[in-house]
Amino acid sequence: MSLKIPALATLVVLGSYAGLGAAAVPLEYNRDIRPILAENCFPCHGPDSAARKAGLRLDRGEDALKAGVFVPGKPGESHLIERVFSADAKQVMPPVKTHKVLTAVQKEVLKRWVAEGAGYQLHWSFLLPKKPVLPQVKNNAWVRNPIDRFILAGLEKAGLSPAAEASKETLARRLSLDLTGLPPGSSMLKEFLADTRPDAYERFVDKLLESPAWGEQRGRYWLDAARYADTHGIHFDNFREMWSYRDWVIQALNANMPFDQFTLEQLAGDLLPQATLDQKIATGFNRCNITTNEGGAISEEYLVLYTRDRTETVSQVWLGLTFNCAVCHDHKFDPLSTKDFYSLSAFFNNTTQGAMDGNIKDTPPILPVPQRKDLPLWQAKVRDLEELNKRLEERKVKSKGDFDKWLCTAKADALMDKFPTKGLVASAKLQEGKGQKITFKVNGQDRVIDSPDIAWAKAAEPEEKALQVNKSGAITLDDVGDFERDQPFSFGAWVLAPRQPYGPFFARMDVPPAFQGWDFWYENGKFGMNLISSWNGSAIKVLTKAGFNPNVWHHAFVTYDGSSKAEGIKVYVNGVPQIMEIVNNNLTASTRTKAPFRLGSRQAGDGLQRATFHDLRIYNRALAVEEVAALGPAGKLAALIAKPAAQRTPAENNQLFDWWISTLDESSIELAKKSAQLDREEKQLRSLGTVAHVMNEKPETAMAFILQRGEYDRRKDKVSPFTPQVLPAMAKDLPRNRLGFAKWLLSPEHPLTSRVTVNRFWQEIFGQGLVRTTGDFGVTGELPSHPELLDWLALEFQAQKWDIKKFFKMLVTSAAYRQSAQISPEKLAKDLDNRLLSRGARYRLDAEVIRDYALASSGLLVRKVGGPSVRPYQPPGVWEAVAMIGSNTRDYKTDIGENLYRRSMYTFWKRAAPPASMEILNAPNRETCAVRRERTNTPLQALVTLNDPQFVEAARFLGERAMRDGGKDFSTRLDFVSTCLVARKFTLKEKDLIQNEFQELLAYYQKCQEDAGKLISFGDSKADAKLDRAELAAWTLTINSLMNLDEVLTR
Amino acid sequence: MSFNHLYHEHGLALTRRHFFQAGGNALGAAALASLGTGVLAADNLGGKPFNQFAPKAKNVIYLHMVGGPAQMDLFDYKPMMEQWYDKDLPDSIRKGQRLTTMTSGQARFPIAPSKFKFSQHGRAGMWFSELLPWKARMADDLCFIRSMNTEAINHEPAITYMQTGNQVTGRPCLGAWVSYGLGSLNRNLPTFVVMVANPTNTEQVQAISARLWQAGYLPGEHAAVPFRSRGDSILYLNNPPGVSSAIRRRTLDGIKQLNEITSQSVGDPETLTRIQQYEMAFRMQTSVPELTDMATEPVTTFKLYGEAAKKPGSFANSVLQARRLVERGVRFVQIYHNNWDTHANAAGRLPDQCRDVDQACFGLVQDLKQRGLLDSTLIIWGGEFGRTIYSQGGLSKQNYGRDHHPRCFTMWMAGGGCKPGAIYGETDDFSYNIVKDPVHIRDFHATILKLMGFDHERFTVRYQGLDQKLTGVETARVIPELLA
Repeated sequence: MSLKIPALATLVVLGSYAGLGAAAVPLEYNRDIRPILAENCFPCHGPDSAARKAGLRLDRGEDALKAGVFVPGKPGESHLIERVFSADAKQVMPPVKTHKVLTAVQKEVLKRWVAEGAGYQLHWSFLLPKKPVLPQVKNNAWVRNPIDRFILAGLEKAGLSPAAEASKETLARRLSLDLTGLPPGSSMLKEFLADTRPDAYERFVDKLLESPAWGEQRGRYWLDAARYADTHGIHFDNFREMWSYRDWVIQALNANMPFDQFTLEQLAGDLLPQATLDQKIATGFNRCNITTNEGGAISEEYLVLYTRDRTETVSQVWLGLTFNCAVCHDHKFDPLSTKDFYSLSAFFNNTTQGAMDGNIKDTPPILPVPQRKDLPLWQAKVRDLEELNKRLEERKVKSKGDFDKWLCTAKADALMDKFPTKGLVASAKLQEGKGQKITFKVNGQDRVIDSPDIAWAKAAEPEEKALQVNKSGAITLDDVGDFERDQPFSFGAWVLAPRQPYGPFFARMDVPPAFQGWDFWYENGKFGMNLISSWNGSAIKVLTKAGFNPNVWHHAFVTYDGSSKAEGIKVYVNGVPQIMEIVNNNLTASTRTKAPFRLGSRQAGDGLQRATFHDLRIYNRALAVEEVAALGPAGKLAALIAKPAAQRTPAENNQLFDWWISTLDESSIELAKKSAQLDREEKQLRSLGTVAHVMNEKPETAMAFILQRGEYDRRKDKVSPFTPQVLPAMAKDLPRNRLGFAKWLLSPEHPLTSRVTVNRFWQEIFGQGLVRTTGDFGVTGELPSHPELLDWLALEFQAQKWDIKKFFKMLVTSAAYRQSAQISPEKLAKDLDNRLLSRGARYRLDAEVIRDYALASSGLLVRKVGGPSVRPYQPPGVWEAVAMIGSNTRDYKTDIGENLYRRSMYTFWKRAAPPASMEILNAPNRETCAVRRERTNTPLQALVTLNDPQFVEAARFLGERAMRDGGKDFSTRLDFVSTCLVARKFTLKEKDLIQNEFQELLAYYQKCQEDAGKLISFGDSKADAKLDRAELAAWTLTINSLMNLDEVLTR
Repeated sequence: MSFNHLYHEHGLALTRRHFFQAGGNALGAAALASLGTGVLAADNLGGKPFNQFAPKAKNVIYLHMVGGPAQMDLFDYKPMMEQWYDKDLPDSIRKGQRLTTMTSGQARFPIAPSKFKFSQHGRAGMWFSELLPWKARMADDLCFIRSMNTEAINHEPAITYMQTGNQVTGRPCLGAWVSYGLGSLNRNLPTFVVMVANPTNTEQVQAISARLWQAGYLPGEHAAVPFRSRGDSILYLNNPPGVSSAIRRRTLDGIKQLNEITSQSVGDPETLTRIQQYEMAFRMQTSVPELTDMATEPVTTFKLYGEAAKKPGSFANSVLQARRLVERGVRFVQIYHNNWDTHANAAGRLPDQCRDVDQACFGLVQDLKQRGLLDSTLIIWGGEFGRTIYSQGGLSKQNYGRDHHPRCFTMWMAGGGCKPGAIYGETDDFSYNIVKDPVHIRDFHATILKLMGFDHERFTVRYQGLDQKLTGVETARVIPELLA
């Protein structure tokens, strides 16, 4: 593998002109020149071929030289310099209309650069990191590990010295927050403060690295990058069940899976030999993108968007490159072409995932993830089921003789004899075919309904008309379908379902939220029934296991035996009994409702749009299988039987056979019954677990099209999977798929993966990356503050075999990390943004950490790792304001009990309306990859930490503990509180101020007991009744104030 | 030199990242920049000059009709369609343009003429459907664009396009741009507020999402603050039960005293900023209840806006709230009104939709005019696309459905320097294609920015190495005919 370097980059060796000219330090292209050219020249004279003016490229030395824009060493003879210095508005570069103006200094630098030979360099991040020599420093005593040499060298050069080491208390809090996202527990803190061994610090670090909270804290950042959330994102924004991936991330990090393996499994776990279930779960990384199921959406348009999202995410996370510009045109600054982008995208363009998410929680491809303990049993059931189904298939082959025998004797009339009339309480042919009237027969009487919302469509077969309901729910009958749950009944019709995710064909059902009544339900191609007393605490819901295409005629029929059990419902499609899926099965109370029977809807306006049907029937008994068959396909089958055998087509014979084997062949029926039973058991085990959204390759070779301007319908050349030209080529022996790609990322010749990764880790600990533009290591990104340190870290990480814990330990045991955050005027002047690390990093905690901090320091936090996402407190209306009616994430139902107190990374993340308090505190929206978080400081944030019940309740809980366990007097209780909150004791001055406030609050609440009562009952948990309520109220509000201190909110 | 003095200067610079501008000056970013605090201007506006013209509009109230109102049932009168009832849309009109997959499979595309009566109003003779009697009364105040067009054919990308200039999510919305460029006009309220009004009819409510009012690559504080009709009007605004304003003030004083100690000992400018933010939070707590208390409105207000304005969360109530916000210096108010997605039962639903908004819009325009605020407040009304002349699903003379139609739709503006009584753009007899003066979303955005005093080409922010702008990379043009 070799690195491609444009020829001219080596033409002039930079630095060889050192000593020439007045400047002591020679100019360096990457540091001094490229930023000027990139900002001012590359937009028109750079990599983007479409935008290029005058055919001139300045980003590649070879091209610039060939174009003759400069003569190395002779600025006086160089057009470039002439144009840049020109006073003529028509001549000057950059042109006036670009509004770009070079400063006098920049012009001089360009001139000097040409004078020094106009040397080029490949962009720094595309060059392999070089092992730097550890810098020599004056203050050797300060150095704890090699990191410190680089930092100290920078400080000494700037004439600064490092800050003193922070107090042990501060360090304990800082370490705990950085490594686990939680404050140190009191006992752990006490132990650490008392530990005088020389390696006490390292021991403390090790303990934190072993905590399960480590994986949660690191995982949280990773999930930002992976854009993990609990809904699909677009339109209905329904629930997506993929927390198994989130838990995989936490587990992998807790197990200290090396970063190379972590990468391989997430990008290509499914392609690994003998891939385990866990390795497949890991591929969820590429399934976290937002998806749609909006009616009317064009599939190809979204498939293109999904692939683009996956490609951009992988680029940001591993390559640190912003590829999205290259979607439409060659990158303006980086040598990344549109072809590069689409070639890269081809790796991620070969999945079996469809364009529409189906509004379901488990959009294929998925895998069942049973509970760990059930895994062997479940696997056995799956095997047995396969075996049984094989036997069913075999029976199909072997039963031909029996079928032929039956066929010889079968009589068409006999089939029609089964046509049921008994118990027919309501029916309608719905074949009037014109006009605004339809006739129902109710209990033997004709009833004419006249409605403007009647329309007519053609029924497929036989050639007849069918009713189309224009306005769903407009046609109603008050006295039809009034059944109690202990009454058997049956209903059905010939139906043509519209292309709509779900809705009822007809129903007798009350309005939400109870939904009392019953309906004939259609959901994602499946037929079913709801029988409800109150959804979903007392209700039955069943669906067919198989799906049926919309816009195709089916005879669909439902029978119910009056047992109040889901098992008592059978659904037939074209006369064939269906295997059922039980969604809900806990009906215990009355299902009768005063709501009328409605066509196409459960309540006016909410229903299947333009459902079409004819031959609608309702019986007051459960029909038998042959009766249903007679209703549906029997007419057709009878005609087939009546036909002379020689005239039947093979397809017609198959129709007869399919019907016969599922309704009359006893061996098959027996096998099918067993299969259904096993299927139920398998499903039962599965239902106790969860699912994983996974990647699954199509059998075809991966490819993609270059798209003009990125538009899905403007295809240009077809391209194969390939890595960007500017980076080292993939080794020949690597497969051209995601696995090969992942291995390419991890090869020692790759200049970016390790650099980008260690930079992100650095950012997690020091608040900003060595390269501050964490996701952009390209030309437009910022240069590293300490380039040699970045290279050293990148190589060290690989030398340590990508060991993440070891790497973080190295960071936090450096002297640089252990500095106090105190700022002096000198440092503020010379190192305003702390780029030199002249002091300990100090910044506001992340949204999740702020909430977790309140929970943990108060003692309310429930430390359960993983599992389904939870719904803690959220103000009313946040979801409802934006969600569609019918979205299953429209009504936010706050959990109770321990789910209120889980870590914030387990909070249910609805993409269209992220958790309100998290969003205010700058959590990314999880729609696209985020490798860096914003930190603002706003009044809305103050309102969250002051008023959110989560914080007030936590304050009260800590108050209760202080009153119980913090001794008798104010001072010891405050010590108890401050140890939990800031890992130190307040100074006397601080204590005085706090005590004054406390006394005033106490006086108030003693006077206004009612207010005290209100305050301490805010939140779900109950206050300790044994404690004095006024005093507890005063503590609650005092601690609420303390939780809002800058010191608490900041690390 | 005292420590605090030094920090204060940095603190001032830092507050540019915050929701409100620092100190006692109620100044926006633009004003601060014009005072010559160069760092601020450069940082805020990518080193570009901006606010290149004297703005006509200081405030915007944007009324977005979610789902896409049917232009031919409201504004775009097509009498010839009467003769085309139930006849197929000619291929010469459709021109093979793409359709959504909701109707692309339809065997026929039968023309559905509007069932509503139209009449002409105002000096320019604008046509209004009978569903909009109040709008007809103020025809001379409104500026109509009948030739809006977009490429998006589905709601999510189309609304995102309308709000952010791009179909793919992630860019800042119009309100965020305005907040970013012009800053705040007041010390106690957000710069950019969003409200989601509840439609009376909810037959086919469409999804919207918080991403529509996001700040994208602009600093987060330029995202809209939702004003809500349920619970706290601003999230977490109210103190916990049992905590009065006076008690809260006492605890805030306590927090401040302790934070000042931290500031002295650590010297982080961010601590001073935090102190200011807590003070602003308190001011917001005290000013918002007054703002949302409609009891102070006289009877005449409800005569003007209609009785529905008394109902929290209604569209009429939201626009009245918008007027109160604008009066108090909120820069940009965005209101969403849903249920315009008339795939079916267009005839049954449109009367409900129009009843929700018609008088309320009249009230808003007249109210602002009476208060002398109309000249400086730009009102925008419209959806994300139009609807098809052909019927989706069953067709009768009395009822029909209409699918999404991106190629033409009608929007209107009022006040804020746009031209009153103007009609711009023309569509063909089928209201299917534009025959004169097309206005693309990006032209529309360029025109709005112009009214706000910005040259859309130069109002940019550096992101991912590019000078990003609301109007994107394609050529956009300001429509001079829309300017007063």
